[in-house]
Amino acid sequence: MTFAAAFRTTALGILALGLAACGDADNAEGEGGALSSNGASSASGDLESVVEERQANYEAISDSFKAIRTQMEGSNPDFAAIGQAADEINTRAQQIPDYFPAGTSVEDGYDTEALPAIWEQPGVFDQRAQALIDASAELSGVAVTADRAAVTTAVEKLGSTCKACHDRFRMDD
Amino acid sequence: MAESVRVWDWAVRLTHWSFPILIPALWWTAENHRMGLHMTLGLVLLGFLTFRIVWGFVGTRTARFSDFVRGPAKIAAYLKGAAAGTIGHNPLGALSVVALLLAMLVQVSLGVFSGDPYDGATGPLNALVGTGTADTLTEIHHIVANVVFALAGLHIAAIAFYYFAKKMNLVKPMITGRKQVEGGAQGIQPASFAKVLIVALIAAGFAVWVGYGAPPLT
Repeated sequence: MTFAAAFRTTALGILALGLAACGDADNAEGEGGALSSNGASSASGDLESVVEERQANYEAISDSFKAIRTQMEGSNPDFAAIGQAADEINTRAQQIPDYFPAGTSVEDGYDTEALPAIWEQPGVFDQRAQALIDASAELSGVAVTADRAAVTTAVEKLGSTCKACHDRFRMDD
Repeated sequence: MAESVRVWDWAVRLTHWSFPILIPALWWTAENHRMGLHMTLGLVLLGFLTFRIVWGFVGTRTARFSDFVRGPAKIAAYLKGAAAGTIGHNPLGALSVVALLLAMLVQVSLGVFSGDPYDGATGPLNALVGTGTADTLTEIHHIVANVVFALAGLHIAAIAFYYFAKKMNLVKPMITGRKQVEGGAQGIQPASFAKVLIVALIAAGFAVWVGYGAPPLT
């Protein structure tokens, strides 16, 4: 299997190039830019732009959560930065229900992964959004203690709220 | 006078035509949120790429990199009108072959590390790298896709140039495996089925192994 070995080497070489190129991006994420004050558009506004803002909101949540996990992968996590990122997730999570006006599912022809189930089970959806609000608040509180084990648990809990909602309300991969 | 000789073995042709099927399909699945299918097709592409690269060392004469990869001096000479020196890829076309294979290999290699476990699909080796690294590799994956499309476009433009300006049909030999050559140049021997099978098994095994997360690495 020398060819397979050669392939692994190639893949690792490419990975090494990627690593060399990415150090700065990681740092930039850790700083976490200030939350822009883009309130959810009113339902009467252009639905297309609501979908775009919704995705930007989730992208920002995703970036903050990546920044948190990147910190936790290091030997010396910056708990203040983690707390800040958790606060940003919390603020954005509170906007989630406003970003889902009726008629903006994937079946309405938008470039989105939002399933009709969101509007069929609004109670469950709001509950899942609330779970993210609660988990991010909890992480923010725990981050202050700088207790690594407790923060790890809170980070995992937050991640599980992402997944729980995606599993039910977002298009399958 | 020209005579018809065997120029591309069937394994080279099959592998070649897998690319114009897989590349648009990979683009479409990525654009349409069909990431499960996207990853399956990506692994199929990895299998074909692995096959083609190994076949480039042990395959039929015109399949081998040593038959067509040439340095700048030979490429310059070919551009000035010197003979290609092979019935297979000419020294300039060889650049296209190498660039396309390399770009696709880089793209697949990035893809297997891409994604975020909390945010949709992840490639089978995503867990081997940190969150920030995976994020960066994902961004590069999006950029390199355009490099692959650009190289494929250039490849098609070159074939059109040969067809219309030089009255040379390069597509037909890649389908039939035969082309008209002058001056009694020797065609290739048919590919050994056993050899194709062995290399195909190695390539498929490698792709499946990566698909399962390259145990015991993950």
